[in-house]
Amino acid sequence: MVLTCPVATGRTTSNQGAPGHSRRALLRAGALVALGGAAVPLTGCDLFDRDDESRPPDPLEPLAAEATALEARYRAAATAVPALAERLTPIADAHRAHAEELRKVIGRPAPSGSPAAGATAAAVDPDTVRTELRQAEQEGRENAAKACAAAPAERAALLGSIAAARATHLEALR
Amino acid sequence: MTPTSGPAQALGDALAAEYAAIWAYGVIGVHLTEAARSAARAAEAAHRSRRDALILQLSGGGGQVPADRAGYALPYPVTDRASALKLAVEIEERTAGHWRAALPHTTGADRNKALAALTDCALRATRWRRTAGVTPVTVPFPGRQA
Repeated sequence: MVLTCPVATGRTTSNQGAPGHSRRALLRAGALVALGGAAVPLTGCDLFDRDDESRPPDPLEPLAAEATALEARYRAAATAVPALAERLTPIADAHRAHAEELRKVIGRPAPSGSPAAGATAAAVDPDTVRTELRQAEQEGRENAAKACAAAPAERAALLGSIAAARATHLEALR
Repeated sequence: MTPTSGPAQALGDALAAEYAAIWAYGVIGVHLTEAARSAARAAEAAHRSRRDALILQLSGGGGQVPADRAGYALPYPVTDRASALKLAVEIEERTAGHWRAALPHTTGADRNKALAALTDCALRATRWRRTAGVTPVTVPFPGRQA
């Protein structure tokens, strides 16, 4: 298993040999390191480890945002073309379920101010709607497959299911 | 985690699922006609090539390669088109589940192969649902136990 708390390295302890440096300067240096996300100062796991602002973004953030955006697109399309609603709604539900599972794995809520997707259904011609959804879904499928390939073991199964689901959405849109 | 036995065990389980799928399609195919029967034949061929690839991969690793069984117990009688299609959906979801379980035990090219297999199973399950008139034709998390 991978340690989740990197142990501090020499950088923050180099002040030991420089008694002239103020305590404040030391703290400031530590804060900068923490902001960079490179190492946790002084101790392996400090209290401020839980501060979301100091953690680097999770590599799955884009995929979670994409799932939310896809859900919005399908909902908008289902409203614009009621004849397709029966087919599109279960897919929208699946994207929502994916976003929820990804958020659980990420362990943080969606960043505030993240776009709720360009949920504009400009086209109302069913064939055009389907073509546009297929394009978005195809892109999503590739992104999920890439994420699966790059993921640590504990995330691989979920990402594999999401990639496979997106492939089946393409099939359902035929 | 046991890095030495984990992957071989997971891929061995996937192989056992492929054996069962190949066997099941023999039962399924006889109750289908025309396009559906061709689809069953194509599905069986796809499972055979996954099986062959797995046997090669596992024997290359120097470990035990699980052997096929002489027969399998059907979960219910398969007597007509409806029960054959139902079994086809279940076989694909089940096999998808074994490939999904192999994902955490693989990396690199092997993980991509497992993902391709999971995806193919999920796609066939979707097509079988459509043939059977089951809606929705998709599930949110292919291969995950409900």
